[in-house]
Amino acid sequence: MFKGALDGVKVVEYAAMVSGPYCGKLFADFGADVIKVEPPAGDPSRHCGPFPDEEKDPEKSALFLYNNTSKRGITLDITKDEGLEAFKKLLRWTDIFIDNHPGDYFEMLGLDWESLQKLNPGLIYVSITPYGRTGPRAHVKGDELTLIHAGGEGNLMPVRSYDLSFSPVKFGGYQVGYHGGVAAALTAMALVLGKKRTGRGHMVDIALQEVIVTLLAPILHGMKYNDNSWCRVPDRPPAMGRMETSDGYIILGAADDHHFRALRELIGKPDWLASDMWDDMVWRANHMMDIAPKMEDWMRQQKKQDIYHKIAKVGIPVGPVNTAEDVMNYEQYQARGYFVEVDHPVAGKYPYAGWPYKMSASKPQVSRPAPLLGQHNEEVFCRVLGYSSDEFKRLKNAQVI
Amino acid sequence: MSQTLPLEGIRVLEFCWVWAGPYATMVLANLGAEVIKVEGHRRTDLMRRSVIWPRYEPVPTMLPPNQGIAFNTLNRDKKCVTLDLSNPEGIALAKKLAAVSDIVIDNMRPDAMIKMGMGYEDLRKIKEDIIVISSSGRGHTGPETNYLGFATIHQSIGGLTYLSGHPDDHPTHGTGGDADILNAMTTAFAALAAIHHRINTGEGQFIDYGQCEGCTSVIGEQLLGYLMTSKIPERMGNRHPEYAPYNLYQCWGVDRWLALEVHTDEEFAALVQVMEKPELAKDPRFVDMVSRKKNENELDAIIGEWTRQRDRDWMVGELCKAGVAAAPSRDGKDIYADRHLQAREFFAKIDHPELGELRMVRPPWKISDLELPSGHAPLLGEHNQYVLQGILGLSDEEMADLRKKDIIM
Repeated sequence: MFKGALDGVKVVEYAAMVSGPYCGKLFADFGADVIKVEPPAGDPSRHCGPFPDEEKDPEKSALFLYNNTSKRGITLDITKDEGLEAFKKLLRWTDIFIDNHPGDYFEMLGLDWESLQKLNPGLIYVSITPYGRTGPRAHVKGDELTLIHAGGEGNLMPVRSYDLSFSPVKFGGYQVGYHGGVAAALTAMALVLGKKRTGRGHMVDIALQEVIVTLLAPILHGMKYNDNSWCRVPDRPPAMGRMETSDGYIILGAADDHHFRALRELIGKPDWLASDMWDDMVWRANHMMDIAPKMEDWMRQQKKQDIYHKIAKVGIPVGPVNTAEDVMNYEQYQARGYFVEVDHPVAGKYPYAGWPYKMSASKPQVSRPAPLLGQHNEEVFCRVLGYSSDEFKRLKNAQVI
Repeated sequence: MSQTLPLEGIRVLEFCWVWAGPYATMVLANLGAEVIKVEGHRRTDLMRRSVIWPRYEPVPTMLPPNQGIAFNTLNRDKKCVTLDLSNPEGIALAKKLAAVSDIVIDNMRPDAMIKMGMGYEDLRKIKEDIIVISSSGRGHTGPETNYLGFATIHQSIGGLTYLSGHPDDHPTHGTGGDADILNAMTTAFAALAAIHHRINTGEGQFIDYGQCEGCTSVIGEQLLGYLMTSKIPERMGNRHPEYAPYNLYQCWGVDRWLALEVHTDEEFAALVQVMEKPELAKDPRFVDMVSRKKNENELDAIIGEWTRQRDRDWMVGELCKAGVAAAPSRDGKDIYADRHLQAREFFAKIDHPELGELRMVRPPWKISDLELPSGHAPLLGEHNQYVLQGILGLSDEEMADLRKKDIIM
């Protein structure tokens, strides 16, 4: 049997969409025993897709399948008394409880932090909410779009824009959720280690807005020196960055003088690049616009992957703007075994994105595909919580499970 | 408050610079680990001296070594020892420190630590259960291991950039370092998992962290969606595949924008109530989510006309009160001015010996009954005495000798 780095850690996750489930996945793929609790209708991410053939099927949503690997899944109606009782049993069993409902959701069910501590004094309760559990916006709603803008990241994108009337924009996908999930997992992990010495539980209050601001912290603090706010339209023509090739975009980072010298040599030092003045960073910063159209013309004649390797091989920081297809075919990832094959009984077999950490002794692993809705009900109720099979059947008939 | 921080007793030795490494160990320090940063006093972390973009004329681009803002943001609560690592004696001292550390971490080029004789294979001979983490752009293996990059490049290779931006325009990466912060937090998580494994089994290990991969793991569903449908996922601007209205709307004033998300019919009814256009909730074009999504352009035009004439913050207040998810697209000044963040003590007061009082964001977590530290980033060589004499037991004469040889400052 698979024994990962987090062998012996018990997690109950009652969370929707991305932030809480991704946090749970990070634990589960390291071998923690993660029980995912879903309401009878299932985690809403089951209904979000993308789906194969674009046909809705709660067992085939890519968003659900990716974020819920290696977990056991049960359904439970905690709005019913017996459901809530069963849920409390789970909370007594677990080390960590991951929740990303609005702050008052469990409070209204009598599961505020004080009650949770009485239930399980060593419990590590991870609460992920849009704006946190305290403060004037504690009960305000927020999700991917509002939070990326509330946290300041959205206002800076598109980065290197040229027109202020072109609106700020969010990241693609569910970046608020994923980043929040990582911050939550890291904190919970530290508390698991702390508990080994102190025996103490804690509540972690993760505000997704704060997670987003954290990404910008060094830039935000830079206001100390320039007393200015930031802007997605740069104050002077940028020297480098995103460029268009004949078949896509590339990010060119010839930032240091020796990088730019290498680039001039690669381009072949045409007249407009002949002067050694271009190897001076300050000169470039103030004059780049003079040659930018020519640089862009040159780049538009190159092929993305081809010029990427040519530039990288002379020691200049560079990278292609990869599509999903490019990422799946990326040789570097294949050589490193980044993708992992997961065979799901309904959705089928696909390679999934793996983990950025290659561990020599305790490798992460997808120990089972994402659970079908209620797949482990009987196993968890009878073997983990000690219900008799008669009791289990009765709860099932009463539609608690 | 008498308290034990969760990571007390764990010692981390770092050979990190810029963003992705330093923030990983800073969060460990915030949670109680003792983090010792090793720098050459003639070869410091680049961020010690640099001003963050935008660079204004009156601001010198090179600062004294304790005053770079990014450095002070990403290295708080750590200790700093200076050692000249181009000198074998400097390396020998670094190895002695590794022998009394739990985790050794670097974010230099993949071969840098190995060349200095401090790769995992070397260090495990000194301390069998050591955990060594090396965080690099492409990772330690594969054909591109020696390629160079930084955060925006990793985000682009990883696939996130292509998905971000307006649909009819160019893709956009995020700001200069946000991929580094993501990778730093993920690295710290992996480090702690390795500590857990060591408690369980007594075993240390090597962690080869790839920062491009870190950016791909956060678009897992997009890749799977591509494989399921054979369609390459494209940019959607601020919009959502199913919800409407779900967009950014221009408000009165210069570059002021309102972000608005509607997830249910009830929220839509609340929105049009605030707009004083309750009839829209019954309009067949907008009566349910499917219709709203179908007629999204018309709906966005109606909302945009309303927002263009009104104050952003007034609308945010009214909409949030009515139960609608709304937020301003905040710039830096808006962030500092946010009373909610202030009420949550998100801006820690940091007393810095050279810069005075700084207001810097704390890490994004609050933990019940724990007061997390908010110390300043270490001055260059601030802890030489503590580290070399306190931990390694060097005598005053040995210290003087090291200083004479320019191995320490």
